[in-house]
Amino acid sequence: MNEHTNPDERLDELTAALPREIAPPPELWNAIRVELAARSSDARRWDRWRLAAAALLIAASSSLLTLVALRARDRAHAVAVAPASPPAARVASGLPAQLASAEQGYLRSTMALRRTLDERRDSLAPSTVATVERSLRIADSAIAEARAALERDPSNAMLAALFASNYERKIDVLRRATELAPRT
Amino acid sequence: MASALSLVRSAQTSHPSGIAAREPAGEDALVDRARRGDVDAFERLYHLHAGRVYALCLRLAGEPVEARELVQDTFVHAWEALPRFRGESSLTTWLHRIAVNGLLERRRGDRRRTARVSLVEDEDDVERAPSAGAFVAPTDVATAIDLERAIAALPPGVRRAFVLHEVEGYTHEEVAGMTGLATGTLRAQLHRARQLLIKALSL
Repeated sequence: MNEHTNPDERLDELTAALPREIAPPPELWNAIRVELAARSSDARRWDRWRLAAAALLIAASSSLLTLVALRARDRAHAVAVAPASPPAARVASGLPAQLASAEQGYLRSTMALRRTLDERRDSLAPSTVATVERSLRIADSAIAEARAALERDPSNAMLAALFASNYERKIDVLRRATELAPRT
Repeated sequence: MASALSLVRSAQTSHPSGIAAREPAGEDALVDRARRGDVDAFERLYHLHAGRVYALCLRLAGEPVEARELVQDTFVHAWEALPRFRGESSLTTWLHRIAVNGLLERRRGDRRRTARVSLVEDEDDVERAPSAGAFVAPTDVATAIDLERAIAALPPGVRRAFVLHEVEGYTHEEVAGMTGLATGTLRAQLHRARQLLIKALSL
C-alpha cells in the first residue's frame, strides 16, 4: 500500500484524496429556516415598537402644539386665567428634548383631568375612588421607572414608547374616572 | 501516482479562486434575490454550499455536533450579512471566513471560561479538545489509515492551520488573515501538523 518512501509526499496524496464536500445532516436546513424566521419576527416586532414610539411622540407633540396655540390665543384675548404650570421638578432635564416636550403635554393633560376628577370625587363611590387611586399610583410608578431608564439610555426607542404609553394609560384612567363621575 | 494526484488536487483546490470558477451560473441572481429577503433563493444557495461548509466545519471542529452548530451559525450569519456581501471573494470563501470567525469566537468564549478555573501552558490545550468520540489513539489511526480521524485528533490550532491550508488550499497569507495568526506562527503550526499526522499514520 505504502509505495512512497517520502512521508510528506504520501501525506499530500492522502490529503488530496479527502472529499471536498460532506453532506450535512438532512434536518439542518429546517433548523436554519426556523432560526431565520424567529429572527425576522424579532426584527418586525422591533420595527413595530419603533413605529409605536414614533406615533406616540407625534401625537404628544401635536397635543403640545395645540396647547401652545391655545395659550397663545388666550394671551391674545387677554383672558386672565393662568394655566396651572406643571411641577417644575418633574419636568425632565435628563430626557431628550423631544420627549421632554411631549412630557409637558402629558403633564398638562393629566393635571387638567385630575382637577376635574377632584372636583367630582364626592360623587364617586369610595371603592371606585380607591381603585382609581391605586391605578394612578401604578401608572405613576411605571412612568417613573421608564423615565429613570430613559435617562440612562435616552436613545432607546422601546423605552420611549413605554414611557409614552404609561402616560397614555394614566390619562386613560383619569378620563374614564371623570366620565364615571357625574357633573355636580 | 502521487504527482498525478497532486496535479488533480492542484487543479481542483490548490487555491480557493478555483472554487469560484466552478460555482454555478445564476448564483449571482440567487444572491440578489436572497439579499432582498427571498428565503427560497437562500435555501438554494444553502444546498449549493452546505456540503463544502459542513466539510470544513467538521474538520475544524473535529466532531459532528459542534460542526452542525457551526454550519447553522454560519448560514444564519450569512443571511443577515448578505446585504454587505460585495462579491469581492467567491461566496464559498466568504462562507468559509464566516465559519472560521464563528469557530474562533467560540474558542475565545471557551478560553475565557477555562481561564477562570485553570492555568494552562499550551494555548492549544486551552481550546476544546476533540470529543472522546472523535479522538483516536495514534496506533488505531495508523491501523485504520484514517486521515480524517487523525486530523480530528490534532490539537485545535494546529488542526485549523492544516485544514485551511492543506485541505482547503488557502494560501499562508489568507489563512493568516482568517485566523489572525502571524505567518511565521502559521508555518510552525503546519510543520507541527505534518509531523503529528505522519507519526499518527506511521507514514
